[in-house]
Amino acid sequence: MKVVGVLLRIEWLKTVKRRAFWVAVGAFAVFTAIPAVEGVRGARRNPNLSYALPESWPDILGAATGIGPFFAGVLMILLVAPEFTWRTARQNVIDGLSKERFYAGKVMLLAGLVLLFIATAVLIGVGGTLLSPSEGGLGILRPTDLSYMGGLALSLLLVGSAGLMLSVLIRSSGPALGILFLYLIVEEAIIGLISQAGGALRRSAEYFPFNILDQLGDDLAHYPEVLADVNAKRTERGLESWEFLDVEVLAVAALAYSAIFLGAAFLSMRQRDL
Amino acid sequence: MHAIQLFDLTKRYGTSTAKSVLAVDRISFAVEEGQVFGFLGPNGSGKTTTIGMLVGTIKPTGGRFTLLGASGPKGLMAARARVGATLETPNFYPHMSGRDNLLVAAAVKGVGRPRIEECLELVGLSDRAKHRFKTYSLGMKQRLALAATMLNDPELIILDEPANGLDPQGIREIREIIRILADRGKTIFLSSHLLAEVERTCSHFAIIRQGRIVAWGAVAEVVGEGSAVLLRAEDTEALAGAMQTYPEATSVRRTDEGIVATLEADDLASVTRYLAGQGIYLSHLAPYRPSLEEVFIDVTQGAVDSMTEIAS
Ligand SMILES: Nc1ncnc2c1ncn2[C@@H]1O[C@H](COP(=O)(O)OP(=O)(O)OP(=O)(O)O)[C@@H](O)[C@H]1O
Ligand SMILES: [Mg+2]
Repeated sequence: MKVVGVLLRIEWLKTVKRRAFWVAVGAFAVFTAIPAVEGVRGARRNPNLSYALPESWPDILGAATGIGPFFAGVLMILLVAPEFTWRTARQNVIDGLSKERFYAGKVMLLAGLVLLFIATAVLIGVGGTLLSPSEGGLGILRPTDLSYMGGLALSLLLVGSAGLMLSVLIRSSGPALGILFLYLIVEEAIIGLISQAGGALRRSAEYFPFNILDQLGDDLAHYPEVLADVNAKRTERGLESWEFLDVEVLAVAALAYSAIFLGAAFLSMRQRDL
Repeated sequence: MHAIQLFDLTKRYGTSTAKSVLAVDRISFAVEEGQVFGFLGPNGSGKTTTIGMLVGTIKPTGGRFTLLGASGPKGLMAARARVGATLETPNFYPHMSGRDNLLVAAAVKGVGRPRIEECLELVGLSDRAKHRFKTYSLGMKQRLALAATMLNDPELIILDEPANGLDPQGIREIREIIRILADRGKTIFLSSHLLAEVERTCSHFAIIRQGRIVAWGAVAEVVGEGSAVLLRAEDTEALAGAMQTYPEATSVRRTDEGIVATLEADDLASVTRYLAGQGIYLSHLAPYRPSLEEVFIDVTQGAVDSMTEIAS
């Protein structure tokens, strides 16, 4: 238990001194707050436009899942990869941290980032409601909101652990960022291609990490009534209905991918010399 | 007790036979507690690799070693808490101040703040401790690395080329800190490619070349003792010839300074008498201390050129 405290303290000392950390968290907060700010302004100007929790959750969580995972991945790379180029990972081990514990510290850092991002989104949601003249409906957090918030957490975890893995495998932030960006750019293209394909490929492609990420971040996957509405309108216009994997399936897949990424990083960390 | 013992320690980088490098090849030697031990070798001879294995950042591919009497993963982990070490360049967070960097190291080692100030004081960095590491000169970086190794008041201090890249003044400062630590009874293991440096600071040494130990022992044994004499005369050729036939001389060789002869007995009067009898009158006769460099040249032969270059 003492070890956990030591590792948290070390990661804290290292992280708060990095400008990249504050910039990324600040940027995430600003982007997530933009729809909230607009919502509140709208509600103040026009009494018919309501803006308050819990109805504002999809808005806020949608903005957060749009950019949060990307920031989490980039931030993990910026915080972890330089430890190898500066050789501070090596020095930490020389100073008495085992390689496994060094790595455990980075996993805690990832968990901390996920919590921080979620806390930021929650603060923005609560802040927006307090500043808005509107009254929200029943409850503050409906089960569907909770599901979407879980989706945000898992998306952050998924891309964050991919960033951690790239950092540990490549050990240099430039190339690691390059590969992450490439993946994020290619992602859209591949989803587009696969959605045109048919049969088994299309079905298996549903479980690719990028598709899991995409669906986890989509409010329609978490709010069945909204999805039903949308699909009813689409049917009216003669369009195909949209379908999403079950949230449970998405969650298991995201956790499985994260476990694979974190496991690969762990093995590399343990195996290779520093 | 032994501070460090190596038994056939080996490291081969890479697995494919074509590209793999045998950096350290079955080396064995021991460092006793309280010694200031110099680990000497030219560039690329395997010093850093050896130290990396001791401090746990590099996995040996063969052999084993003990640290402060401990072995095995668990034992070594525990022993490393009583060791302070640096490997190659000073490794710190560039955007953090010297003091904050020590704060991280202290957190790893489980050491409190007062000790940080003590160590900064010892290496003379207290004034600059609040400045960022990346603004430090190389000498300051090396001194911060020394401060970091001393945080946990280690029994054994392992330094990889602590004088690397420093000017004579900087080298003198590092030497002074090492002397203070040695006086406090610490065991010090330092690597260097500077022969003179090892000769001046160390009580014991090992020489590594191409991953193999070619000599090890006490500096005094090879440098201090012995009854070698340095002789000079007008006619060096005649002097050399005469000494070759002197029955008491066990070895005779030429150096830049003159003729160096090793005598069976420390009897300088007989030498002068003998040479005068041969019609050779000495302009210089003095006891001769061979340097570690000469020992080094004796034992390594092949690497003489590159080493004398480095040593000069
Ligand atoms: N990570 C690595 N991968 C492959 N080969 C390596 C690696 N590190 C070192 N070597 C090789 O191992 C040999 C020993 O290197 P090492 O760094 O231990 O030498 P050194 O004695 O510390 O040299 P220097 O005085 O230049 O610091 C060299 O041939 C080097 O090229
Ligand atoms: Mg080296």
